[in-house]
Amino acid sequence: MLEIENLKTNFNTYDGVVKALDGVNLKIEDGEIFGLVGETGSGKSVTCYSALKLLPKAGEVVDGTIMLNGEDITNASDERLREIRGGEIGIIFQDPLSALNPVMTVNDQIGEILVLHQNAELQKLALEKEIPTLKSEKWKASPGVEFTIMAFCISFISLFVMLGQWRFSLPFLFVIMLMFLRDYLQRYNPASALDLMVIDALSRVKLPNPEQIANSYPHELSGGMQQRVMIAMALAGKAKMLIADEPTTALDVTIQAQILQLIKDIQKEENMSVLLITHDLGVVAETCEKVAVMYKGKIVEQATVEEIFSNPKNDYTKGLLEAIPKGSKERLKVPNLEETSVL
Amino acid sequence: MKEILKLKNLKKHFPVKNSWGTDVALVKALDGVDLKIESGKTFGIVGESGCGKTTLMRTLLRLVEPTSGSVILSEEITGNNFSSNNLEDLTSEELRYFRKQIGVVFQDPMGALNPRMLIKDIVSEPLVIHGKTDNVRSRVIELLENVGLGEEHLYRYPHEFSGGQRQRIVIARALALDPKILVLDEPTSALDVSVQAQILNLLNDLQKKYDLTYIFISHDLSVIEYMCDRLAVMYLGRVVEEADTDELFSNPQHPYTKALLSATPSFDKNKDKIMILGDVPSPINYLDESKAKLATEITEQEKLEISAIEGKGIDYIVRSSLNEVIPLVQISDGHYARVRQQ
Repeated sequence: MLEIENLKTNFNTYDGVVKALDGVNLKIEDGEIFGLVGETGSGKSVTCYSALKLLPKAGEVVDGTIMLNGEDITNASDERLREIRGGEIGIIFQDPLSALNPVMTVNDQIGEILVLHQNAELQKLALEKEIPTLKSEKWKASPGVEFTIMAFCISFISLFVMLGQWRFSLPFLFVIMLMFLRDYLQRYNPASALDLMVIDALSRVKLPNPEQIANSYPHELSGGMQQRVMIAMALAGKAKMLIADEPTTALDVTIQAQILQLIKDIQKEENMSVLLITHDLGVVAETCEKVAVMYKGKIVEQATVEEIFSNPKNDYTKGLLEAIPKGSKERLKVPNLEETSVL
Repeated sequence: MKEILKLKNLKKHFPVKNSWGTDVALVKALDGVDLKIESGKTFGIVGESGCGKTTLMRTLLRLVEPTSGSVILSEEITGNNFSSNNLEDLTSEELRYFRKQIGVVFQDPMGALNPRMLIKDIVSEPLVIHGKTDNVRSRVIELLENVGLGEEHLYRYPHEFSGGQRQRIVIARALALDPKILVLDEPTSALDVSVQAQILNLLNDLQKKYDLTYIFISHDLSVIEYMCDRLAVMYLGRVVEEADTDELFSNPQHPYTKALLSATPSFDKNKDKIMILGDVPSPINYLDESKAKLATEITEQEKLEISAIEGKGIDYIVRSSLNEVIPLVQISDGHYARVRQQ
């Protein structure tokens, strides 16, 4: 599915060049859950951002090839990359509340992805059900007209208030109220093919009352529900691969168990590949089939889950496993680590 | 067994107001907590976000006033000089003295350190405030050496340190006034496992050296199991189970405790899993009687999740079944849980 070969990424800083990735080789097969573990600064997130060309300005991929389904996307055009991000590859980030737009309803956010990546499907559904594809065709005048009416009303109101004849401003006030009322009604009236598809996407991640959730803002949902919405968004573009960057770090253990179960279920149903990036070895042990351990921009060990936990070969992996408290009250062994250096 | 602190039926209710300013509901952050904290031991408090762990800590320090109930201090803290052993009745002088006896370490070390102050000023600040101004410099160096830092770190700013070192500085500051109790509010949740191991070892060493009592708040059960001698599990402002750590981990009684223990990711793939289905209910209790009680029937979300999980051989409990309040009963010596007696 995704194949990364000898990937090298540098960050140019004022203090010099930081070699964030120093020759990373990864191969993720179709339909497997692959875990990428490492501590802060080991380069696990940078690997995923480099693969999707989402690096900040200072970062730069200097060497290596990235293959997606046999297609070389190392030097892909911006248009092609835009198709891949959210289309073939869906991403979930650590903190759902900061990844969701606080001023857009869930409906609008998932709708955006569907319009970008599933437009053909959308048109088909609209033809079948004989409904408009987007709500705006039925309900909304163009935003320019709405704005003009609003500005017109407000200027008249202020004019009459200034003249001391506030009674004359009442009809204009009434018009403004009507416009708000229409907006409100629109929010609670699913009428388009897009709405149906959004509701379908939300029910796939086992959210109750998808109609109601579609019309709510992110802050109205609990942490677990927000993460479910994020997963729905990542899957909306019919993704064949899901990259989950620390999907449960911000959640409680009980909610974490629910979300991991959901990811496992969906992976099985859709036969997707999942790349799970995490620092928690326990999460990896429970969900993944294969694991790669990263340290200082390199993959130090790669094996199946059973092997890595029963018989770790690399010293760093051993140290990492020993540092976790495991019931006994013996003194914890601290792995001897050097800090990531600036070169 | 020597108690250092005793919580008696401690309650803290926060009012929820509507737009007219009248109370419509109460958030019962703490709803009748009884605990005895032993001297020289580590007492753990576990629970999810919103269960009242942090409010409990804040009431212990009297940063918020409890609605009812009391915190009883032992002679070890009062030294027989106080007018009362109830935290609520202390005079401001006595409260100052009390706060010297109790140090706090918070979750996020960067948030707890002033980015514009030098380390020497940060660590010496409690000393200056409490008037221990002789030999400040040597005392600060001694404190830093205690936590594995040294004289060369005196003239640096917090941003020059790594996460683990910052947490060490916070611990050094908390120990500046020779406290008897150290409250640790998720001290390692912002750290990597290797750094976490260092900090946990340091805390164990310090406890032995100074005979400290720890109140350890965390949601990470492996850390709790490693550190604590006794443990209380909280859910929605109540203690649902309390026991010695070994007893609680080997013989959990309350369904929530069982599920929490099994929800922790582990390396053992064959471990029996119990999922908790549904979302944490809102802790708001409406004063209006018709809405007052938390519903105990199964919600929509739970129905959906049950249908998703059925037939996979996974045990589950639903959150709505936890909403009913059952009195605490004694299971065995020192083991209490909110379960129905057969």
